[in-house]
Amino acid sequence: MSAVYALYADPESAQRAVNGLQAAGLSHAEIVVMSGEPFEEQPFAQQDKATWLWYIACAGGLIGMIFSTWLTRMTELAWPLQTGNMPIVAWWPNLIVIFELTMLGAILATVITLFITAKLPRRTPAFYDPEVTNGKILVGVENPSAASVPALERALMAGGAAELKRR
Amino acid sequence: MAHKWGMAVDLDLCTGCGACVTACHAENNIPTVGPEQAARGRAMHWLRVERYWEGDFPDVRLKFRPVMCQQCDAAPCEPVCPTYASHHTAEGLNAQVYNRCIGTRYCANACPYNVRFFDFFNPQWPKPLHLQLNPDVSVREVGVMEKCTFCVQRINAASIDAKAEKRELKDGDIKPACVQSCSARAMAFGDLNDPESEVSRLSRSPRGGTLLEDLGTLPKVTYLERQTQV
Amino acid sequence: MSAASSNKLTADLLRPLLETSWRFYALVVFLAGIVLMGLGTWAYQMFNGFGVTGINNPIFWAFYITNFVFWIGISHAGTLISAILRLVNAGWRRPVTRCAEVITAFALMIGALFPIIHLGRPWLFFWLMPYPSSRLIWPNFRSPLVWDFFAITTYLTGSVLFLVLPMIPDFALVRDHTTGLRGRIYGALALGWQGTPKQWHRLESAMSIMAIAIIPVAVSVHTIVSFDFSMAPVPMWHSTMFGPYFVAGAIFSGIAGLIIAMAALRKFLHIEAYLHPVHFQNLGKLLLMMSLLWGYFVFAERLTIWYGNGSAEIAVLRVTQKGSFAPLYWTMVVVNFVIPVSILSIRKLRTITGCVIASCGVLVGMWLERFLIVVPSLGHKYLPYSWGVYRPRPVEIMITISTFAAMALLYVLFSKFVPIISIWEMKVGEQETHETALQRTSRVLGELHP
Repeated sequence: MSAVYALYADPESAQRAVNGLQAAGLSHAEIVVMSGEPFEEQPFAQQDKATWLWYIACAGGLIGMIFSTWLTRMTELAWPLQTGNMPIVAWWPNLIVIFELTMLGAILATVITLFITAKLPRRTPAFYDPEVTNGKILVGVENPSAASVPALERALMAGGAAELKRR
Repeated sequence: MAHKWGMAVDLDLCTGCGACVTACHAENNIPTVGPEQAARGRAMHWLRVERYWEGDFPDVRLKFRPVMCQQCDAAPCEPVCPTYASHHTAEGLNAQVYNRCIGTRYCANACPYNVRFFDFFNPQWPKPLHLQLNPDVSVREVGVMEKCTFCVQRINAASIDAKAEKRELKDGDIKPACVQSCSARAMAFGDLNDPESEVSRLSRSPRGGTLLEDLGTLPKVTYLERQTQV
Repeated sequence: MSAASSNKLTADLLRPLLETSWRFYALVVFLAGIVLMGLGTWAYQMFNGFGVTGINNPIFWAFYITNFVFWIGISHAGTLISAILRLVNAGWRRPVTRCAEVITAFALMIGALFPIIHLGRPWLFFWLMPYPSSRLIWPNFRSPLVWDFFAITTYLTGSVLFLVLPMIPDFALVRDHTTGLRGRIYGALALGWQGTPKQWHRLESAMSIMAIAIIPVAVSVHTIVSFDFSMAPVPMWHSTMFGPYFVAGAIFSGIAGLIIAMAALRKFLHIEAYLHPVHFQNLGKLLLMMSLLWGYFVFAERLTIWYGNGSAEIAVLRVTQKGSFAPLYWTMVVVNFVIPVSILSIRKLRTITGCVIASCGVLVGMWLERFLIVVPSLGHKYLPYSWGVYRPRPVEIMITISTFAAMALLYVLFSKFVPIISIWEMKVGEQETHETALQRTSRVLGELHP
């Protein structure tokens, strides 16, 4: 089978199940948790929290800033047309364009990174149960070895699971 | 040294006859919009003659002021055009490039002299009036801005002739349509960078001043009129 | 929270998607009809020339620019509620946040249409974009209209992403509750969302970053729109105060639009249990504050001009306050300031109905304010010989009306296909209070009937 998992009605039982699985020798990366809403207080939700997203956003902004500075200055010099009393490379107006493209760079970097790190969009059908969006929390293991399945099932049921399932 | 084209208009000589306005229309293929559109404020007189009454009856005086594009050196219409359709040439003219214009009309709002005009409709010249069109000047389509160019086609033609004949342009070689047709010889056109030209001399006259000088647009049309003690 | 209340939440907020009455179809047909008439009018204008409008010399901008500024202003609703309230962790924003972001996205789209509608040659609008052209067409970065292009593009991109990203978990929820073609479409939109802690963390981090990024963008957008006016030497346009003045006005009109949208949703989608009077009270307090701020800006600007006594500016001031624009001006003052302040500062009157009345007045008043900034100044520039008068023509009126219909239509269609209240954010909100549903209901009922 490709996965064994159970559905829990509340976060505390799900946490007990995660603890049980860890006691059975599984690491964080092997335990799969899914929920219809984020649960910030539970330890099981604390994994994978560290993120480089802030730095990537700043980097995106920096790229936007460099690009727009280069674009405005280079094109104004390449086609020098006199307007009003303003210099050919007009910094005050250029700053406005530079600001906007900086922010756009930060925003796009954030969104692209989100999609990549959250692995969206997924083509292959992922291991999932529609009960998750009915308020249940799913805790399980993907691709377990056949021998370990009974031990895993015991660990999952010990947490007071609502249902145990296999896929 | 590069030319810097300017004009001088002597208001004490102007009779308000309007020949300059008519000549401008003829030279530059400016459409007449008809009485209904004119009543809606859409007449397109690149050069207009403003008329002012001063004083009370019976001591009434009449003053005329021809106003055309002032070809400002610090033109507020130029930086605001998003497509560079309005920009400054090396000879000091404010160029209006019809092909670049997308008709945002920002330049017309920015112009304090109200000398920029918009083509609200495609101009019509029912036959045989199309024969009067000047082949040296393009006909503008609906949606673009247009204005006085100091008859840039005449400037270009004279410059080309001078270059072909391997000589310099002399003062008086170029006469825009309005200057040419003024019956009172009230208007002058020439090179402000040439201190000997008529326009340069007139611009230094104690009777001279520019329109809306305090706005800082640096207009290149000098208006001369008798100064009275205020 | 208990499974029962979670299921009720889901059922209530999914009902608009799953059940459709004939009234929905009737409304859509009606609104779509008006929108089509507007599009036809625009086609008529493009075909026959811009002269079919009321624009003349010297009033070259009128209704369309008014609408442009108005709709961009309305779009600031979402930024305020979603971004600012998210950053200060105001829990009451949760039911309201998607309603507001939807207003932002659609108002921006409609507002961004107007610079195209008002062009003399609209088929060439793409020349505002910096693209390598063999004709050497390139935008002039010194022009405020080009700044508009960059600002609105950035804000629209940011707002749409800010709207769409938190919709992904909700699409997953709808996918799980529907079948057939509908289920597959929502499944595609859900992008395979599972709800692992990693995905939730990334999503929430992205939302926080975008909330921080979108606020300066929103401020800059309406400031840049105000620069369309303040960069021109026109009496009463060339003001240093226009940036903050316009941003304050934008937030003001945005909150008003949001209150009206929320009241309509509450009534037509029967989500009274989720949009409580306390939400309207809070927004009403914000509206009151913005009304006072707006009044402060108008007073400061007009006092400065009146005191300075510059002849050109005084001419414009006089024509708005005492001359031909006086009826519009004083209407604006009454509906933007007098009525909202009166209604919203009295607790008994700050009901849902009271807030909606004040908001309708504010929308009218803010539209008038934009109009009164654009047209009187253009009609009375520095040379009195060239002063002019403007009368709107049917073309402009029809297009204006059709944009309101377009906004309503887009909103109605959105609320049919996407849960208008963010379901997962509501669940998080209920988590955070650590109360049972019963305790919370008692508390809220206590607030309703003090």
